[in-house]
Amino acid sequence: MGLHLLLVEDDAALVAMLGDDMRALGHDVAVATDGRSAIEAVAHDRFDAMILDLMLPEVDGLSVLQRIRQDGMNLPVIVLTALGRPVEKVEGLDAGADDYVVKPVIAAELNARLNAILRGRRQPAQEGDTLRAGDIVVSPARFRAWRDGKAVDLGKIEFNLLLELVRNRDSIVTRAMLLEKVWGYDFEPGTNLVDVHIRRLRSKLMAEGGPDPISTVRGVGYMVPG
Amino acid sequence: MTPFRSLRALTAVFLLAFVAATALTGFAVYSASQRIVTDLVDRRIASVSGELAELASHADTALLVRQIEALGRQRDTGDLGLILTTANGRVLAANVRPGKPLPGGFSTVDAAHGIKGLSTGRALVRPLGDGLILTVIAETEPVDDYAAARARIYLFGFGSIILVVVGGVITFGFVIGRRIVAMRRTVEAIMDGDMARRVPVDGSDSAFDQQARAFNAMLDRIAALMAEISNVSNDLAHDLRTPLARLRARLQALAQAGAGGPDTAGIDAAIADSDALLAMFAAILRIAEIEGGKRRAGFAPLDLGAIAHHVATTMQPVAAEAGQRLDEVERRRLPVLGDRQLLVQALINLVENAIRHGGEGAHIRIETAIAARGRDRWAIVAIIDDGPGIPAGARAQAMRRFGRLDDSRGGGGHGLGLPLVE
Repeated sequence: MGLHLLLVEDDAALVAMLGDDMRALGHDVAVATDGRSAIEAVAHDRFDAMILDLMLPEVDGLSVLQRIRQDGMNLPVIVLTALGRPVEKVEGLDAGADDYVVKPVIAAELNARLNAILRGRRQPAQEGDTLRAGDIVVSPARFRAWRDGKAVDLGKIEFNLLLELVRNRDSIVTRAMLLEKVWGYDFEPGTNLVDVHIRRLRSKLMAEGGPDPISTVRGVGYMVPG
Repeated sequence: MTPFRSLRALTAVFLLAFVAATALTGFAVYSASQRIVTDLVDRRIASVSGELAELASHADTALLVRQIEALGRQRDTGDLGLILTTANGRVLAANVRPGKPLPGGFSTVDAAHGIKGLSTGRALVRPLGDGLILTVIAETEPVDDYAAARARIYLFGFGSIILVVVGGVITFGFVIGRRIVAMRRTVEAIMDGDMARRVPVDGSDSAFDQQARAFNAMLDRIAALMAEISNVSNDLAHDLRTPLARLRARLQALAQAGAGGPDTAGIDAAIADSDALLAMFAAILRIAEIEGGKRRAGFAPLDLGAIAHHVATTMQPVAAEAGQRLDEVERRRLPVLGDRQLLVQALINLVENAIRHGGEGAHIRIETAIAARGRDRWAIVAIIDDGPGIPAGARAQAMRRFGRLDDSRGGGGHGLGLPLVE
């Protein structure tokens, strides 16, 4: 799924790395190195999404975001925030960002988040009573899950993990995304918390037999095939 | 001198010394004036007694008796008591009659002598020759109840001085004490991480206000320096984390390209190392963030008991995988003001620490309690394990940044977990 992306970032090294890596993932990446050229770029070209650093020369990222939202443009925006500035996340989301990524940013993380946002936009809020991925069915309303028609007894954390994976079926969900969405953490604990809970979820899903429904993407995260 | 260093002790010592000195002065003035009155009265009765003795030496007794009676009637000597007796005690002339005998020479008389109209006075008893004895008595009180009136004057005079000074010193102590308390509260708040706290200034430009402003200016300067250091560390971490993330991404690309090849294990180890470095930077930035007080603005009321329960639920599978047991002892509501993320992270770090060093089979408990002293209440969450613990001598090392105990160096962690909790 190649996307036409605008990367707004003034750090040349980061632009080079992210640009190359995102292109390697099949995307078409345009670059703006300051806020003013970012505003011009979105006015002249149609992008599928924007990756926006908040600390920019001339016009800062927050102003860019406010400006394009005021202009009625609703393209998905992921803001890049520096760790240690939690206020940036809040400001970014308040100003209309769809998601945020704490620097340093790697392409796989960005890609996973872009996919999650675009999927969410394509399937708007009226999430049916049940979600399906392969032979797994999850009912968020009833807090129940089934595999191959058989109910699986899950704890709250395991259920939310499965729900997040099924919601993003066929896309990689990174550990950072799971920590945010399932646990609500803005930090990464020292232990492999996500891996431990995924192992428990796996063993419960496989208790009645069948192959492992969760694939591990080494060094990045997890994925449930649709 | 140590006991007198406190403001309250100094005030008390000063007041005691002042009251003692004032009382002593009052007593000295009272005694001196009493002595002067006594001297004057003694001189007066000696003079009258001397004149009568002189008369007795060349006149007969009948003339002496007439002179005594005349003196008793005269205006300037009418207040004197005069008694002339023979050696065997027969009274020849007298205008007063003491109920008790008086000794020879000068003596003090008082109400006990039963002399009508006299409360205190002096008496002089002298022999006149021919077996006659002359007694002259005079009051030492110019007006009735003079002593009581004088005592009242001293009491009101010196008493009002004492009241004004005591009141002034107490007010002064209160004002100084209030300013000192305001400054101490500011220092305590800053030590607790509220770097934005300042000493209140009332705009009076008093010495206290100037002191407070100087103190606040010093805090502003320190805050500016800390902000500079924080910016430097943030920029440094930002600059170092980006190439590190790039390194990690490249290693990951290599791992994916050569999956299953001979270098896989080495590349995975390199990815793990770069993850550890990134985690270390995250912890350094988090500590800088907490020390800079940036998080304080977001403090909100929350239930620490619910957070402890959440951490227990989250960490139970981690403990189980390490062959340990993690229990939550009695869940209770602990309302506190704080940052959920920081509290969760602190408790997770403590539980991780217990899991990492508790050893196989360890039993870890999360206990909650409320402690009270006076009107203050503390919410307590304790993470208790039955592992070997940290030896008392090594605790400071464990709490130091990057400080790890020798036997834990190979056991993972970056030496920032406990400092972050602290």
